[in-house]
Amino acid sequence: MMRKSNKGSLLTVVVLLASFFWLVPLILIFINSFKPYNDMMQHFLALPRQWSLKMYVETWTNFQFTRLMGNTLLYTVSTVLLVLLVAPMAAYKLARTKTMISKISFVVIIMPMMVPFQSYMISLTRLVASVNLTGTRIGYILVSTGLCVPLAVFMIHGFVKTVPLELEESAWIDGAGKFRTYFQIVVPLLQPILVTVVVLDALATWNDIITNQLIVGGKEIAMNIQNSLYMRFSAQTADWEHALPGIVMSMVPSLLFFVLMQRKIISGVTAGSIKG
Amino acid sequence: MNGEPALGIIEGIMKQKEIIDHFVFGVFILPALAFVLFSTDIPFIMNLYYSFFDWNGIGKSMSFVGFGNFINIFTNDALFWKSAQFTLKFALFYVVIVNIASLSIAIALQHNKTSSNIGRAFYYIPYIISLTAIGLIWKFILGPGFDALYTMTGNEIFGLSWLGVPDYAFIIVIVMSIWQTMGFYMVNYIAGLMTVPKELIEAATIDGANAPKRFLHITMPMIMPSVTICLLTSITFAFKLFDIILVFTKGGPANSTVSVAYNIYKEAFTKSNYGMATAKSLIFVIFVLAVTLIQIRVTKKQEIEA
Repeated sequence: MMRKSNKGSLLTVVVLLASFFWLVPLILIFINSFKPYNDMMQHFLALPRQWSLKMYVETWTNFQFTRLMGNTLLYTVSTVLLVLLVAPMAAYKLARTKTMISKISFVVIIMPMMVPFQSYMISLTRLVASVNLTGTRIGYILVSTGLCVPLAVFMIHGFVKTVPLELEESAWIDGAGKFRTYFQIVVPLLQPILVTVVVLDALATWNDIITNQLIVGGKEIAMNIQNSLYMRFSAQTADWEHALPGIVMSMVPSLLFFVLMQRKIISGVTAGSIKG
Repeated sequence: MNGEPALGIIEGIMKQKEIIDHFVFGVFILPALAFVLFSTDIPFIMNLYYSFFDWNGIGKSMSFVGFGNFINIFTNDALFWKSAQFTLKFALFYVVIVNIASLSIAIALQHNKTSSNIGRAFYYIPYIISLTAIGLIWKFILGPGFDALYTMTGNEIFGLSWLGVPDYAFIIVIVMSIWQTMGFYMVNYIAGLMTVPKELIEAATIDGANAPKRFLHITMPMIMPSVTICLLTSITFAFKLFDIILVFTKGGPANSTVSVAYNIYKEAFTKSNYGMATAKSLIFVIFVLAVTLIQIRVTKKQEIEA
C-alpha cells in the first residue's frame, strides 16, 4: 500500500521550520564570531564581511587553547578508557553472581544515580583536598571517572542479563580461565552497550564544567576548556571578539561527534534516561 | 577424629575453589567500587556527618550542634524557602511546557523521512552543547545582540532589561532550559511513538475515528511508558536546577532565580557555612530521592514487561 499520508503535514511543516529557528542562537554566534565588535553591533544579523580567521588564531594563542583543548581531550579519553576498564568487569560479575555481597556491592555502586550530585559535591571537594589532589589532573580524572561509573555499571548490568550463559559455559569447558573468558568471550558480546557508554561519557566529560570547577578551581594547568571559558568570559563586561571564537571552538568537537554518532547518541540518551 | 581422607581432600579443594572465587570476584568488582566510593559514597557519608556541626569548611574549629542546623533552616532561613518556592514554580512551568512542546514536535517528526531526521537533529543539538557555551551564547544574544536589534528595529521587546527584572529573568531561565533540553524529551517521545502499531491507527481511521480521538484513545495509552519517563525526568531536572543558574543568572536579580541547589552551593562556597550547607543538602536529597525512587520503580516495571 503506497498511500501517501498528507495528514498532519501542516504541523510537520511548521515544526520543521521552527527547527531552523531552534538553531538561530548557534547560527548568530557563528556568524558574529568572525566580526569585529563594531560590526556585531551594527550588522548583527548580517554575514561577516570577510571570513577571516584572525580572531580565531588570536583566541587560540592568547588563551592557551592548545593546553585547554589538550587537557579536555586527555580528560575525555582517560575517563572513557577507565570507565571501559572497570565498569564492564564489575557489571558482568555482579550480574552473574547471586550472593548477598554481590547484591550489596551493586547497590553501593549505583547509589549515586539516586542522590543528586549537589548533595555530596561539598564533601567531595573536602575529600579530594584531604588527599592533596585538588587542582591536579589526576584528581580530576579520578573523580570524573567515579561519577561516570554508576550509570555505566547499571546499563551494562541490564545488558548482561540478556546475554545467554551458554557461550561462557562452553568457553569454561574448553578450559579458558575466568579472565580469558571475560576478555575473549564476554567483552565482544557487550559491544553494543559499550558503544552507548562511550558516547554518553565522552560527551559528559567534554562538556563538564561543574566538576572541573570543584576539583580544579582556578588552577590554570589543569583547567578544561569549559571551565576556562567560563572563568574568563562570564564576567559582566565580556570580550566578545575573543569569547565567540572560543565558544565556537569549544563546541566543534561535540558537534562533530554528534554528526558522526548521531544514531548512537540518540539511542544512548534514551537508554540512560533514568539517571537520577 | 580422623574423617574420611578422600572427603578431606575434596573439602580442601572446595575451600580452595571458594577462595579463588572470592579473589576473582574481588578483582572484578573492587576497581569500580573504589572509584565510586571515592567520588560519591564516602563524600555522601561525610555530608551526613558534617550536617551536625557548625563548621566553615577550612578551620579546625568544628562544634557539634546536633540538629541545630536543621532547626535553623526551618525557622531562620527565608532565602532557602524563597529558593524552594522558585524551584517549585520553575518545576511547574518547565514540566508542563517542555512535555507538551516535545510531544507535539515528536508527533510531527515521528515518520522516518530525511526531513524529519534533520529536524530532530536540529532540535537535539542544544542538548549536546556544554553549559558554558549555552550560558555565554544567551548572554551574548540578550546583551549585545538585543542592543543591536533594538537600535535596528526599535522594537520594545529588545529594549527590555531581560536580566534586570525578576519576572523577565524567570522567563529567560524557563526559555533557556526548554531550549537546551527539549530535544531529549522529543527523542524519548519518538521512541514511544515508534511502538504504536500502524495497523491500529489505520483500523481506527477506517472506523471513523478522527485525529484527536485516535490520539486520545490509541496513541496516548500506548506511549504511556514514555510519558512517565519524560514526566519524572523533567520533574527531577527541575528540582535539581543548578547548572543553568550557575552559568547564567547566578541567582539574580535580587535573588529571584536562586534555586535550591544553587542556594546550597552558595551557602558552602560563598558563605563558607559547610555544616549548614550539608544539612540543607540532606533535606534536598529527600525531595529528589522520592521522585527518583518512583522513577526507578516505574522503569524497572517497564523492563520486566518489555
